[in-house]
Amino acid sequence: MTDSDSTATDTEEGASATDHPADTAGGERPAGDAGTGNGDAVTGERDTGGTGDSEGAGYTGGAASGPVVVDSVRRSFGDLTVLSDVSFSAPAGTVNCFVGPNGSGKTTLLRIVAGLLAPTGGRVDVAGASGRSVGYLPQSPSFRPQFTLRETLGFYEELAGVEIDPDAVLARVGLEDVADRRVGELSGGMTRLFGIAQATVGEPPVLVLDEPSSGLDPTMTEHVGTVIRELADDGHTVVLATHDLETVDRVADTVLVLDDGVVQVADSPETLRRETDSETLTHAVAQYLVGEVGGLTVRTGSRGDDDE
Amino acid sequence: MSERDAGSEPASASDGGSADPGIDGREGARPWTDRRVGQVLALAQREFDTVVRTRTYAGLALAFGLVVVALPSLGGLAGYLPLVLDLLTPVEVLVPVLAFGFGAWTVLADAQSGELDVVRTYPVERSTYVVGAYLGRAVALLGAILAPLVVLGVATPLFREPATSVLASHGTVDSPVYFLRFGALTSIYGLVTLALAMAVSSLARSRRSGVAAAVLALLVVVLGFDLLVVFGVGQGLLGPDTLSLALGASPPAAFRGLVLRTAAAGLFEAGPPAANAVASGFGLAGWLVAGLSVAAGGAWSRVKR
Repeated sequence: MTDSDSTATDTEEGASATDHPADTAGGERPAGDAGTGNGDAVTGERDTGGTGDSEGAGYTGGAASGPVVVDSVRRSFGDLTVLSDVSFSAPAGTVNCFVGPNGSGKTTLLRIVAGLLAPTGGRVDVAGASGRSVGYLPQSPSFRPQFTLRETLGFYEELAGVEIDPDAVLARVGLEDVADRRVGELSGGMTRLFGIAQATVGEPPVLVLDEPSSGLDPTMTEHVGTVIRELADDGHTVVLATHDLETVDRVADTVLVLDDGVVQVADSPETLRRETDSETLTHAVAQYLVGEVGGLTVRTGSRGDDDE
Repeated sequence: MSERDAGSEPASASDGGSADPGIDGREGARPWTDRRVGQVLALAQREFDTVVRTRTYAGLALAFGLVVVALPSLGGLAGYLPLVLDLLTPVEVLVPVLAFGFGAWTVLADAQSGELDVVRTYPVERSTYVVGAYLGRAVALLGAILAPLVVLGVATPLFREPATSVLASHGTVDSPVYFLRFGALTSIYGLVTLALAMAVSSLARSRRSGVAAAVLALLVVVLGFDLLVVFGVGQGLLGPDTLSLALGASPPAAFRGLVLRTAAAGLFEAGPPAANAVASGFGLAGWLVAGLSVAAGGAWSRVKR
């Protein structure tokens, strides 16, 4: 885990990352020490006040290594720019949480990382694998309701081209007792858990989870957090977007605040709280948001029909 | 090693996860060809099971079957040749309707639900996805098309009514072979129109636009091409020599032409001009390939709105 002692880089165009000397804090968050973050600038037009501009778990903005490297990614829909300049890297075995207001581009970024959406500019490198590289949980996971969980996993097993034990995959998220229940009979929370289980089929090195705890009750939310942490501890690189800052505080190695099209800050929850003198992560994150806290990021422009 | 410092040592997914290969454990990975065949079969099985387990499709198939069985039965079953002629026009219209009902939501449904995004994170090529989905729907469609035809084929000799038709009275003309040919050609016609339905499904961006596109495409398939040919004749663009070739480019006209030439004992010579058989064969094959190609091209390019 590293903490930068430098200030953020402010450029008009949100240019990325300049190198900053960093001091390591190894041992503070064991998994986070994989965050080699050799670049740490915060992009964007806002002065971050010298806080939170450290690497976190691999927030680099420049050359970096790791299962996921995102370098100066931009994404526009017509004349609407959603992502201006996003850079980060996510080391193996870490949980990297994107937080930010609605409309800040989290889902767009995750879809780019998952390979579902091409960036307008910049570069995304995801660790290659002979089989499935990225496991993906969409914001609203949905499966064909006519099939049981076991059948659905069997289908994805064939797509992945590897043999799996459906019971083991379901046990990972605590759904082993409903393996033969039809997907259409699952609750929303269970469907989301099943979506996470599906994301692990083929053991992809990178898991991209879009709001994994959205709409879940507290118990289920805690369970999802535990599952995510265990997945990272198993060696997966987890990149997720969420509004659930309690879970983020509990499981994240790196919190990346995405707002105004750029990553405003990336660091561990502890560091963000400390550097903003905040008791809660919610308060800490709010310090880095460009717009009104609790507001909705609304960008001007129009979406073209030639997107993606 | 601390609790969170496990990245370098992939652990089992769960206590009971003995089969979990671990994040780097791909011992179960299959050769590329085996994997692709497995993917096609898995996709086909999924589509077939979806159709079988969905009441809407069962209702469609039942309605189609009832109409196909009822129409010739109302006038009495006089023989295989009359049966072919009785069924030709209704089937020409109803098979595309059934095929679009079975295929027009295939890709669109996955895209709308977001599951297509999930599928795309697996090492599946778009052509594999479309071919697999097509095969599954095709098997289900063929079942729905052939079931009533089999019923009629079995019922005809059992309930044949004597001399109700000039055609049927010619015993040397009537033969179950004609009906078998008709069944085969109807199946091919269904497969072609299913491919076109898949193309529509792949290009549609929403359920509403999907419905509109499916209805429009259906009208074009059933009526549009024939009207185009009529227009061409009316404008003098198509003469007697080129008409039969042009008709081969229209799916229903090609189907009709092939039926009249191969499953109606040469009766076409006494009727209106029929499509050239070779042109019809190439026409139907072309529409099949075009439909699947468009479906494959469009499947990955969509965005969930």
